[in-house]
Amino acid sequence: MITIEELNTRKIPIVKIDNSLKKFKEMPLFEDKIKKANETLKKVGLPRLEKVQ
Amino acid sequence: MDLPKYQLSAEDSLTVFEFVSIGPKGNIPKLIKFSETHLKDFYNIGFGDKNLETGDIDDKIISNNGDSDKVLATVVSSIYAFTDLNPETWVYATGSTKARTRLYRMGISKYYDKVSHDFEVYGLKDEQWIRFDKEIDFEAFVVKRIKK
Repeated sequence: MITIEELNTRKIPIVKIDNSLKKFKEMPLFEDKIKKANETLKKVGLPRLEKVQ
Repeated sequence: MDLPKYQLSAEDSLTVFEFVSIGPKGNIPKLIKFSETHLKDFYNIGFGDKNLETGDIDDKIISNNGDSDKVLATVVSSIYAFTDLNPETWVYATGSTKARTRLYRMGISKYYDKVSHDFEVYGLKDEQWIRFDKEIDFEAFVVKRIKK
């Protein structure tokens, strides 16, 4: 079993799969934020990626 | 990030995550969802408390469970998991209130040196995306995994 210390040093977390959460996939959640995101995309578009040194 | 964080659960497409905040106010289940937008590969991240009685998700509630750093680190780790599986995606985040967006900025600022090795981070200011700056009060944020 992974220890808390190991868990905390990982950037990519170990995720326990729980497919009972699938019900939230189709549920309309955070709709106001999605609307805001869509408005921003329409007005501003995406950032221009800069080259990383 | 080498920070305390909670164990995450997710369904197998890694778009809905859950974890439990533990603190003086008790055990509070939290839900994170990456939702599609009108643009392909551009997702909104939403995050809130799960009401066990009604099943509703509240993203405006202030839990005050004394673990905001740990909660933020857990949310960031869900972004790592999601973008690991979907490396081409952009993830958009904004707070449900101005105060909460400011909190996000403070959180990103705190860990920017660490996350900037793995993500391009931009903030929205006056209808323009600009590279994240700790001193600027942004309206929203967007991140993309850096290709390595």
